[in-house]
Amino acid sequence: MILLRLISWPYVRKHLLRSVLTTAGIVLGVALLVGMQGANRSVLAAFNQTVDRIAGKAQLQVTAGESGFAEDVLERVQAVPQVRAAAPVIEASVETGLKGQGKLLILAVDMTGDRSLRDYDFENGDEDVIDDPLVFLAQPDSLIVTREFAGRNGLGAGSRVAFDTMEGPRQFTVRGVLKAGGMAAAFGGNLGIMDIYAAQKVFGRGRHFDRIDIGLAEGVSLEQGQAALEKALGPGFNVEPPSGRGRQFESLLGIYTTAMSISSLFALFVGVFIIYNSFAIAVTQRRAEIGILRALGATRGQIRTLFLGESAIAGLIGSAAGVALGLAFTRSLAGFTGQLMEAIFGVPQNTREILVDPRFLLVALVLGVATSMIAAFVPARNAARVEPVQALQKGKYQVLLAGENRTRRRAALLALALSLGCLALSRYRPLFYLGYLLTVTAALLLAPFLSLELARLLRGPLKWLRPIEGSLAADSLIQAPRRTSATVSALMLSLALAIAHGGVSLASVQSIQEWMAGTLNPDLFVSTSETLAARDFRFPAAMEGELEAVPGVADVQPVRTARVHLGGKPVMIVATELGRVYRHIHRTIIAGDAQTMDTLAPEGKGVVIGENLSVLQKLHLGEIIELPTPSGPLRLPIVGIIRDYSNQLGAVFLERSVYVRYFQDDTVDLFRVYVKRGAAGEEVRRQIVERLGGHRRLFVLSNREVRDYVTGVANQWLGLTYIQVLVALMVAILGIVNTLTVSISDRRRELGVLRAVGGLRAQIRGTVWMEAVAIGAIGLALGTATGAVFLYYEVQAIGKDIAGTPLAYQFPFGIVALLVPVILIAALISAVLPAETAVRSSLVEALEYE
Amino acid sequence: MNKAAALVPLVLLTAAWAQDARAIVEESQRRGRASSQRYEGVLEVIGAHAKVSKKSWQSFRLGSFGESKAIIRFTAPADVKGVALLVINHPDRSSDQWMWTPAIGRDRRIALQDRSTRFFATDFSFEDLEERDVNQFDYRLTGEEAIDGAPCWRIEARPRQGKVSQYTLSRVWIRKADYVAALYENLVKDKVARRLHETDIRNVQGIWTAETLEMTDLRRNSRTILRIEKLAYNVPMKNDDFTVQALRREQ
Repeated sequence: MILLRLISWPYVRKHLLRSVLTTAGIVLGVALLVGMQGANRSVLAAFNQTVDRIAGKAQLQVTAGESGFAEDVLERVQAVPQVRAAAPVIEASVETGLKGQGKLLILAVDMTGDRSLRDYDFENGDEDVIDDPLVFLAQPDSLIVTREFAGRNGLGAGSRVAFDTMEGPRQFTVRGVLKAGGMAAAFGGNLGIMDIYAAQKVFGRGRHFDRIDIGLAEGVSLEQGQAALEKALGPGFNVEPPSGRGRQFESLLGIYTTAMSISSLFALFVGVFIIYNSFAIAVTQRRAEIGILRALGATRGQIRTLFLGESAIAGLIGSAAGVALGLAFTRSLAGFTGQLMEAIFGVPQNTREILVDPRFLLVALVLGVATSMIAAFVPARNAARVEPVQALQKGKYQVLLAGENRTRRRAALLALALSLGCLALSRYRPLFYLGYLLTVTAALLLAPFLSLELARLLRGPLKWLRPIEGSLAADSLIQAPRRTSATVSALMLSLALAIAHGGVSLASVQSIQEWMAGTLNPDLFVSTSETLAARDFRFPAAMEGELEAVPGVADVQPVRTARVHLGGKPVMIVATELGRVYRHIHRTIIAGDAQTMDTLAPEGKGVVIGENLSVLQKLHLGEIIELPTPSGPLRLPIVGIIRDYSNQLGAVFLERSVYVRYFQDDTVDLFRVYVKRGAAGEEVRRQIVERLGGHRRLFVLSNREVRDYVTGVANQWLGLTYIQVLVALMVAILGIVNTLTVSISDRRRELGVLRAVGGLRAQIRGTVWMEAVAIGAIGLALGTATGAVFLYYEVQAIGKDIAGTPLAYQFPFGIVALLVPVILIAALISAVLPAETAVRSSLVEALEYE
Repeated sequence: MNKAAALVPLVLLTAAWAQDARAIVEESQRRGRASSQRYEGVLEVIGAHAKVSKKSWQSFRLGSFGESKAIIRFTAPADVKGVALLVINHPDRSSDQWMWTPAIGRDRRIALQDRSTRFFATDFSFEDLEERDVNQFDYRLTGEEAIDGAPCWRIEARPRQGKVSQYTLSRVWIRKADYVAALYENLVKDKVARRLHETDIRNVQGIWTAETLEMTDLRRNSRTILRIEKLAYNVPMKNDDFTVQALRREQ
């Protein structure tokens, strides 16, 4: 403690800017980690909280995927002796058009019996606020809203709220206001209660319910109730506690969470190099100080502890600041994540409360401190090894010894050889990832050697550019490779990450566009929602005929999509008239042949599955899959595997008639409409809206609009990863500033001598600038090479383990072309301040330095 | 005399009273028996904050205690007109109930587990509308008391095992003169939850009937008054008119 106060603190004060820059790496890494995790957690917690609050006292819930089930299931459930109360539910979200209010989650229940499961805490008792429960039931426009929602929008009993229904826009009358708290807090307070039979019409559900909430009889355990219901209903139904819905959502969020966590940790990993660099330099600069301390009797352990203590404090301060910054970002990130989840999966989100787990904040703090200490471990160990005599020999330490260099090269070659071996055995997936890790290790081990070699190569061009400044800048890098190698490593890793992500994005967008060109080729799409992903509203089957009657329409293909559980994961069933669809689209067949597929699948004798489902769930051609349906399990062989991007967790293409029969659901989410040759798409679109839009809620989207929407969602998804790449780059640029600051103070005497012998300020400035640009150029060269390798691993990991859809290896030349000026300019900008420090320092002080 | 011998007269007395209690209830039901019943009811709900709401309905009943079928159809106000409830009573189990809401065009079955809830915001619960089968309760005569000046037997009715009821115990006061129930008290866990007071007792076509029923919910501090008008017994009715299809048909 005394050493920290007497030795470390004056050093930190003297090099305040560098200390701040050192901790900035940790700040950004931890901030990103906390922000991302906090956002994901808040979105998930908001979803779970909504599920939990609207579940009330329900102990179990009966569902059959997203298709819902016929009303008669309720009587079968009520007949189970273990069931005390069973309440049917429809849940959907609507846009009310109230400014800034977002969506309203409608919980539709049967009020004559629902109170046995849910507490409806009305303002001033029932009769004052539900003006009249009989009127509430009798009138299909009845709506109950929460106190919070009513307050925000100036609503009271008798007020009108408008939203679209399947029968066109309708006004609803507020006939009840729920007290704040409890169920009213679900979906951020944007909750509306409606009669379930009215909701069937509003949302086009026919005579279906979405689920049944169950309260068990006294003395019946959850397991007993579950077993009894499963036995009574058969395998097509899912009987789970309400928390099961949270788990399903979590599995949807899974890929996203994994991607975000990896990138956040990567940013922190990049930070390690910055800290390593700073401490390595600090050890070098304070060698004399260390020598004196050692001469005065300080033990090696004390010196090591001193540096580790410094790093722990720096880590703690950086982590604390990172946590604060992360928390500040969480709300906007949560909003973004929520929107993304809704756009991709159609699950409405309303994250008003930011929930951060204090335990996670503690983990982030520990991680930040540990990162800092791990980064400082080697410099601390080196400091402890300093002999007093050696300490006086300034500059020697910056040089990489030939032996040290050789050892690193050998270790790197070994790592490379092993990684190639792992690659050969990559069918054993852990070996594939071990190979990736070994490649990263090899790159890091080779970075100092390659930096040195590249600096030597750069000397000529730099000298040619500016004889004096260029030579001095190159020599500075050549003579002190240890000073720059960590920064170069950080820059290399950041750029490699950017290039790999860029390559993946490029390939993803290109693959999606190719797929869209082949399959999303109808002229118009008539959908129940603007986003295509939301399935709250459904069209009646009869609408197919109405659309066919519109002049200019050549073909109409009804599509119904619903998630069901397959292999424990929510996968998408796409039910359509496969024969008609196949006549229009161009598929990329992965397994099977077109003739068999076109014969068996439309006859309902088999299903076609997406390639990603086949990869993720290891399903093969000819294999029988079992789909849970309300009519019992539907077992069909896989008669084809096609490339498909319609759902991240995979899709099963099923003949519509089979779906209707087994799921007892003839509703439609989307109509694919082809326009007659010669007919104008816009005119047909206008006709559809004019003829059908008045009495139905519908959105007619052109082919271009749908493609733009899908591309937009893909870009939104990929865009978030770029935020992390940006942070990693910022960390690396901070490293350049740090290195240059150190370089300036390290060479203060040298620069002073230069000025004393007639060196101009402009020349000193130019030297620092060129050194910065050289670091940037070396980082770019190494980063591009490493990025090319990382891209290979990322493409493989995405194709085989994460998304299940193979991506083509496409090196993102465009992104590299963009990165070159960005990094060089960033390096130049980061040199401005250190350069000015160098030229403005006192000549006398510089000459007296050391 | 040992203790056991001393208890014998008490046990015999209790058994005799129990027999009497059931016989009284049976006689009360027998006297109210008719092949059918029709009336127009005016319902007035007086809430805890003295807010009053009024509704009118028509009631039709075919058959009597234990095996009857009944339809209640709301006639006013306008926004509930046409809402109807079909109740089919069974001698050995709880009744089946369906509700019809014409504006939505849907019937809904009211589940057994939900019968403790209020009947459309009145102080009656769905269970209160069921007819009590004597075989589903154990009766005990607990004394005599005058209600509205008329001497009554005070009888306790406890649901037998297997009978699903929100009430743990009911007390009924039956007038000695005409066997009409003048007062009911329904208890939940030893506390009176609802009290039904029957007044304006008149002889209609030879059947003594209360034409004003006042149900008080003591937990909510609200009450509902049902006034029976145009009461008629043994009116010709068809079995087919008491089905879910008929409920849908007659809007």
